[in-house]
Amino acid sequence: MFSHLSVQKEGSSLLCRPTSEEQEPVFDRESLAYTPCTDRYKVGERSFSRQYAHIYAARLMQMRPLLTKAAQQMWGSDVVISKLCDLQTGVQCCIVGTLFKRMDLQPSILKEISEEHNLLPQPARAKYISEADELILEDELQRIKLEGKIDRDKCVTGSVIAIYGTERNDGKFTVEDFCTADLPMQTPRPSLSSDRFVLLASGLGLGSSSADSMLGLQLLIDMVTGQLGDQGEQRSAATIARVLLAGNLLSQNTQDKDASTKAKYLTKKTQAGSVDAIRLLDELLLQLVASVSVDVMPGQYDPTNYTLPQQPLHRCMFPLSSVYPTLHLTSNPYQANIDGVRFLGTSGQNVCDIQKYSSRDSHLEILEETLRLRHLAPTAPDTLGCYPFYQKDPFILEECPHVYFSGNAPAYESKLITGPDGQEVLLVTVPDFNSTQTVCLVNLRTLQCEPVTFSAFTADDEDSEMNISH
Amino acid sequence: MDELYLDNIDEYVHDHNKIVTYKWLSVTLGVHVNTAKQMLYHYLDHKRKESSAPLHATYLVSGRFEDNGQTSHRVSLVREDQVEDVKSKMSLIASVHVYSVQKALLKDSSTLYSVDYDAVKDNLKNCSRYSAIRCASAVPMSSVEMQRPPSPEPESKKSSMNGEAQKPSTKSQKGIMGMFANKPTSKTQDSSKEIKLGPKDDTPEADATKSKPAGKANPMSNFFGTQLSKKPDKTIKVEEAAQSPTAEQKPQTSSQPEEKQEAAVETQKDTKKDSRSKTKRIQDSDSEEEKMEKKKRRRIKKPEPDSSDEDVIPDSPQQVETSLKKTAKTVSYSQQVHSEIKTRKRRRVLKHHTFQDEEGCIVTEKVYESESYSETEDDAQPTKQAPKDVGAAKLPASQKDDEKKSQKKASANANKGSKQASIMGFFQKK
Repeated sequence: MFSHLSVQKEGSSLLCRPTSEEQEPVFDRESLAYTPCTDRYKVGERSFSRQYAHIYAARLMQMRPLLTKAAQQMWGSDVVISKLCDLQTGVQCCIVGTLFKRMDLQPSILKEISEEHNLLPQPARAKYISEADELILEDELQRIKLEGKIDRDKCVTGSVIAIYGTERNDGKFTVEDFCTADLPMQTPRPSLSSDRFVLLASGLGLGSSSADSMLGLQLLIDMVTGQLGDQGEQRSAATIARVLLAGNLLSQNTQDKDASTKAKYLTKKTQAGSVDAIRLLDELLLQLVASVSVDVMPGQYDPTNYTLPQQPLHRCMFPLSSVYPTLHLTSNPYQANIDGVRFLGTSGQNVCDIQKYSSRDSHLEILEETLRLRHLAPTAPDTLGCYPFYQKDPFILEECPHVYFSGNAPAYESKLITGPDGQEVLLVTVPDFNSTQTVCLVNLRTLQCEPVTFSAFTADDEDSEMNISH
Repeated sequence: MDELYLDNIDEYVHDHNKIVTYKWLSVTLGVHVNTAKQMLYHYLDHKRKESSAPLHATYLVSGRFEDNGQTSHRVSLVREDQVEDVKSKMSLIASVHVYSVQKALLKDSSTLYSVDYDAVKDNLKNCSRYSAIRCASAVPMSSVEMQRPPSPEPESKKSSMNGEAQKPSTKSQKGIMGMFANKPTSKTQDSSKEIKLGPKDDTPEADATKSKPAGKANPMSNFFGTQLSKKPDKTIKVEEAAQSPTAEQKPQTSSQPEEKQEAAVETQKDTKKDSRSKTKRIQDSDSEEEKMEKKKRRRIKKPEPDSSDEDVIPDSPQQVETSLKKTAKTVSYSQQVHSEIKTRKRRRVLKHHTFQDEEGCIVTEKVYESESYSETEDDAQPTKQAPKDVGAAKLPASQKDDEKKSQKKASANANKGSKQASIMGFFQKK
């Protein structure tokens, strides 16, 4: 653990007079082998003229063999796997298909347009599930309504699963059991000799109205760059080999929705709120990249494309920090191999979307579910913006990561899970820094994760304590 | 170590009324951060012993903190009076040091950020100079290294991800470029010879005039090549359209070797040629525009099947196209041929330039061009533009040509009229 390593063995060295004879310590930053694997999430040609149906077709085609295997493992190798068109009433069989949840509350632009009787716009909801939801399974040709032992509220549209059961006379399918593709294969993790850390942070929220968080951010930077703390802490800070910023570097406040609706001549002289925030970010990044390798992922509110996969922020925006080779601007689903440990994660849009359209609340639980479904973002393109891929669904997990994270969670959570074939995956929900002042440190040697919290005092001091530990 | 710094800090704190943080001090005095922390402690200690004016300090305490069973590493900034309190809550203490010293009691710690902000901003270029961690790999790249483009995206990856739509476009592009750039095949040479046969009486002149635009054919084709590449989604159309212009372009490129032989002739006629080459180029672009025109034609043709019936020369659609384009010109052609034979003169001609701009809009400009003109060119013109007709157009004398021209003119006019009508028809509500 980081704090154990940081403990000063021979008492505090800083609560004394400076001594001239002793040379002040300088530690060397650990550097690790790093291979980014973000080619998968690069969108070269951007053609938005295609339909989204192709993604579902490609997804089902790619997932079918995986689920067939999983179904045979679960219900025996002699299980009958049929297609919906070959389905016979009353015969037990297994069907592989894509789930579709028909939801009354799901916002629909068509509904808004067609109902021209001055209805009040529907309020944005935290959850869009309702009692009237119906679960439907689709394969290439047909669809069938599902009933039985499958939790409607927990499922989300777009997940490919295998169900086992029988079709009844009324045309509905009674599910007796179902299975997911489960964790993909994992390449074993190399055993490391020493403790090295990767720091995960998200939701810096620059440009927000509250300036309080800036001191916390500065403390974070000072800690990582080795200014803060005693020698022991600085020594362990030197073992932080990488910093990964998982999205939402800018605050939502920097997005000015009025700009697009206001007349041009009114907004001609006003500067976008994101300009100052990006300048600030550049300065902060410069302090970081001068001392450590930094991966910058874009998030929901960052100035890049909105649809997943989000492309890297442009380096032109960082004139100061982009001269350092240690700055890596990466795509939003992030995938990289850091010293043999495979990292995969997003800035959290996929998890937040599932949270809205299912009864699940915990980000960690949703994160694990996406891993079990073997799909990074099942709700894309239904309720989550996504590029219209048509030959391949890049969000299908082909290799199991060692660290699987999602950013901008309300709180820090982590869990080490073990897959059926001995896969070891550390799940981390990286908390929003702006509201929690917390980042997390992943130990590459042990796959342990530890939160690091920064706190300062405000005018009403006692509250700050409470805020942070909520 | 001499203790001058005590006086320094004293000056900052009391005289300047500053909040002195360890970071600011380290940057200002140019000392290691840890030394700066010790200096602050020493100063504080020294002043407390003197028990002079009250001083306030903030401390940084970090360590392991347990809260509801969850352990975390915690970095806290606290006022002096709370240090012991915070320390007692921590199960392990990693570091405690003075963060800042100031005269007034700090209510809100966020001021500490703004105090450091300027110091940090002024020293952004070497912000980790006095820190305890060095990073070997964090060396700013030189501007030369920056110029180097970021690793080129693998082509195969792109196409596999985004489908085959891109593949044929690049292929066809290459094909077009290749045909334009370097492909003097035997067949094209034949056709160029054929052209030469026609206006035999003053071959050198015709050649000279032709050779110049040939030299410019490459940049021309480049220009169009890039334009084509901008609309990869229209690949198929472009491809089919590209077939026809290549046939027309080839004779020009093949005449390139002749350029040297004619160099002497050329120099004499430099001035004349310049203006000619200009007009030629414009004609080239016209012929390129036919590609676009061709696509358009399908739409235009539909509402006016009667007018197309009038066309006596339906076998070469390009001619119809060109005549449509150069209405003004053909008019003068027919006049010219009747009045004087084999003379050169200048005149101003109204021309339509149709081209596609960067945004993909088709723009038509009417431009007055001055061009010098002779009868011989008249012959070369149709043969070049419609290689199919070469055989037919070559044999008969200028009379038959005239006939054709007048017909063309008529058809062109008919086309024009119907074009207008069709647009109007578009706006009318049926």
